Amino acid sequence: MAAIKLNNIIKNFDKTEVVKGIDLDIKDGEFVVLVGPSGCGKSTILRMIAGLEQATAGEIVIGERVVNDIEPQNRNIAMVFQNYALYPHKSVKENIVFALRRLKVDQDEIERRLKEISEMLQLDALLDRKPADLSGGQRQRVAMGRAIIREADVFLFDEPLSNLDSKLRSHMRTEIGKIHNKFGRTSVYVTHDQVEAMTLADKVVVLHGGHIAQVGTPMEIYLNPVNIFVAQFIGSPSMNIVEGTLFNDHLEIDGYKLPRNKLTNVAYQSNIEGTGMLVKVGIRPDFFNDKAHFPASEETFDFKNIKIDLIEPMGFDKEVLFTLSGQPVKARLDLRSEIKIGQNIDLLVDLSQVLIFDRETEQRL
Amino acid sequence: MIGVSIQSTGEYMTPLEKAEARFGWKLVAPTILILSLLILYPLTYNVYLSFFDVQLNGSKTFVGFENYLKLVSNPDYYAAIWTTTLYLFGTVVGTTLLGLAMALLLRDPFKGRGLVNAAIMLPYVAPVISVVFGWQFLFDPISGVVNYLFVDVLPIWSERSNLIGDPDSALWVVVIFDVWKHAPIAYLLILSKLVSISSEQYEAAAIDGYGPIGRFFHVTLPELYFVLATVVLLRLIWNLNRFEDVYLLAPNVETLPIFTYYQAFTGVIDQGLAAATSVIQLAVLSVFIWFYIKKVMKW
Amino acid sequence: MLGKKTIKGRIGFLLAILLLVSFSLLPFAQILSTSLKHQYDWGNPSLIPQTINFDAYKELLGLTEAKQVEIPAAIQKILNNPKLPQDKKEAIAAKYTANDNLFPFGKYMLNSVIFSVGAATFSLVFSVMGAYSISRLRFKGQVVIQRSVLFVYMVGGVLLMVPLYQMAMNIGLASSLWGSALCIFLIYIVQTLPVGMYMLGNYFRGIPFALEEAAMMDGCSRQEAIIKVVLPLSLPMLATVFIYCFIIGWNEYLFASVFLKQYPEFHTLPLALQELFVSKNAIWDRIMAASMLTLAPIVICFLFASRFMKGGKTDGGVKG
Repeated sequence: MAAIKLNNIIKNFDKTEVVKGIDLDIKDGEFVVLVGPSGCGKSTILRMIAGLEQATAGEIVIGERVVNDIEPQNRNIAMVFQNYALYPHKSVKENIVFALRRLKVDQDEIERRLKEISEMLQLDALLDRKPADLSGGQRQRVAMGRAIIREADVFLFDEPLSNLDSKLRSHMRTEIGKIHNKFGRTSVYVTHDQVEAMTLADKVVVLHGGHIAQVGTPMEIYLNPVNIFVAQFIGSPSMNIVEGTLFNDHLEIDGYKLPRNKLTNVAYQSNIEGTGMLVKVGIRPDFFNDKAHFPASEETFDFKNIKIDLIEPMGFDKEVLFTLSGQPVKARLDLRSEIKIGQNIDLLVDLSQVLIFDRETEQRL
Repeated sequence: MIGVSIQSTGEYMTPLEKAEARFGWKLVAPTILILSLLILYPLTYNVYLSFFDVQLNGSKTFVGFENYLKLVSNPDYYAAIWTTTLYLFGTVVGTTLLGLAMALLLRDPFKGRGLVNAAIMLPYVAPVISVVFGWQFLFDPISGVVNYLFVDVLPIWSERSNLIGDPDSALWVVVIFDVWKHAPIAYLLILSKLVSISSEQYEAAAIDGYGPIGRFFHVTLPELYFVLATVVLLRLIWNLNRFEDVYLLAPNVETLPIFTYYQAFTGVIDQGLAAATSVIQLAVLSVFIWFYIKKVMKW
Repeated sequence: MLGKKTIKGRIGFLLAILLLVSFSLLPFAQILSTSLKHQYDWGNPSLIPQTINFDAYKELLGLTEAKQVEIPAAIQKILNNPKLPQDKKEAIAAKYTANDNLFPFGKYMLNSVIFSVGAATFSLVFSVMGAYSISRLRFKGQVVIQRSVLFVYMVGGVLLMVPLYQMAMNIGLASSLWGSALCIFLIYIVQTLPVGMYMLGNYFRGIPFALEEAAMMDGCSRQEAIIKVVLPLSLPMLATVFIYCFIIGWNEYLFASVFLKQYPEFHTLPLALQELFVSKNAIWDRIMAASMLTLAPIVICFLFASRFMKGGKTDGGVKG
């Protein structure tokens, strides 16, 4: 068991900076998810922790040791690879126990751990097969088994579910969550899928262009994104961003005037001139409600007479599209709202969930 | 100090990277040593030798450019260049066309394709020394099947002739031999590209109204353009150096390698002259190889 | 696709295949046929011998009693000359009686096996190391080495024969029996090493890097990962490269003729066959039988290699 500490980690490939100074503390037993679009440096960070890439500068500490100069095989880390990387010439059993055999672990102990793990991952019947004869989900479980049996200090996951179909993916996601709860090892998990990040993580690290954009619990990131990038990356469907103008006492969006004193999440500035300050306003589709089915209060604002452009029924939910400040906006309503395209509707918004961003820097105000 | 430092140039390597580089050099060291000693050094040494009068026993006298002057005033040298040109032309065209035909014929799977494949690959792997005797027998003026076929069965020629004995006809025997032996390589290269052309392209062309011949010219050929160029270049590179296949079948066909061999080891031995010939040939070869590395390997 | 479904198309296709296969196999059939024919049958264009004659094979493989060779009358006369010293006499007599007609095929084959298997073994070891290094490890100069290997791969033996011979001459190797053998051995290694490196380099690049990384995560050092993961996965390719290098050595004539011509005890098969061919007449059956026997190991290796090649072992371990 070990905590991980990254101190100002930089990674250059030739002249290109891929990771541009990352500081991160991962507590012992914590499940941390690194999430971001492709090219944000998340996999590189993971591979540097593993020792498969060398940090150009900075310090990586696992437990009590600075591991920069320690070979990957001596870092006591287990890793699940994106493409599973099972040894094609070895059976499932030999794949799983390979590391233990290398360490000359006692045969009875190997059998005991193998039994425990193969039962947990439902691999008992597959132990003598070769990886080529397994389905994608089975290979994934073998890769998990190979990592778990090591009882390593740290688990690393490099987009482990990205090659599975969506049904299997959500099943394995749950399995990974269970395994973490059972063993409680320090885990670092890389994904581009924000759902995995939200569901699995104790702590989410959103990466953007080689920098950390935000670190926090899934709910902190969801409710309090620090900038437009994070706001739109986390949450599905993604947050609506529209142009607005901020005045001393209200926020104006496409003619609607939202009282400013209720926008609790906004740093209050009272010195804005009467001409107003152009800003970007973010509202999650989930925070719109149909006035017909939701009680209005001091805390809500009423967008009256919104004309619906399009409706996308999703089953229980439906996503309705309309226009604000010339930009398309999505709202998620439930099946009680019986509306048709072209009709007008009154939508309530929880004022505390209206976020205001700087127009240029796109940072939260 | 534990390998943590900031550098400005990008030249800095962490200890683990250094260890990897050291390991890399260790592994290639024997290869580098042996290739430098037995290929790169000899090639350089060859240039040096080309400025000397060199005897078989190793004694040398500096003669400056005399070897080169001798070479450019030697009509046999030009004859060898011409023979080589014809040989290259014949083998390149023949190998490419036959390889293409074979690939087109054998593209779609059929029962027994494995056996047919093995049969047509056989000439390529068989030792030259063995098969040349079969070929010599085929072209034998008295017992050979070729003369029997063209004189007795289909009277195209009026009398039996020694096709390998006469250097002019022997050249074409040698060309056919090379095509027979190396078309399988062209076939493999072309086939691997051919099977990667998606059937959708053919279906689209068929919908556009192209028949089989139109499809060949509008879909197959443009797709094969690159691999055909590769085949041609590789044939040029390999056949410019071809020695055994020519010398063992018809030692009277004097392509440049045979010419060099004769200069170096038979008759009036002049190894300096042979070295000069090799130097010029290496220069030409290097151009082909450069093209290959740049255009085909894209390095 | 090209109208093979019609009867006419099918017949045309079969004819073309037949023609192609005949063209490829005709010389082999001719060699086999002639090797089994009696001399009176050689002029017969049919490939099937009138009666099958194994004498040539028996003789080459030493299965017949060594024939007692008649000493020609003219030579006998010289031998009877009392003025000739006894040792000279014996030398001349030996030349004519000592199984002169017998072609020591077994010895030549053994020479060929030793040179080609030995060189192929060294080549394989060096090319595994070198190919792994240039395809897998990151260090400066890697690209230059890679290109040089490709360049060297394409430089033919003819361009090297004069300088190599002169180098061997300068250090005195070419003038001794074992020195020449050593030269041939080294030259066969150098002739096969770039090919091996090129083939293996391409193959190693195709093995997913993640497999080695997984091995390292499982606690292996780089060396262990190579031995326990990369090499077992490469077995078919290692066999293929070995066979390929073996074939190159087995078929080589040029350098054998330059370095070994004067040492008959070290003649390889190609050299011995060529010497046999240019020195005698009217022995087609023996030449052909020797060709068949030279051919046989290569054909067996080739069939083995092509079978071995089919089990591409990396699929399944990694997706994508």
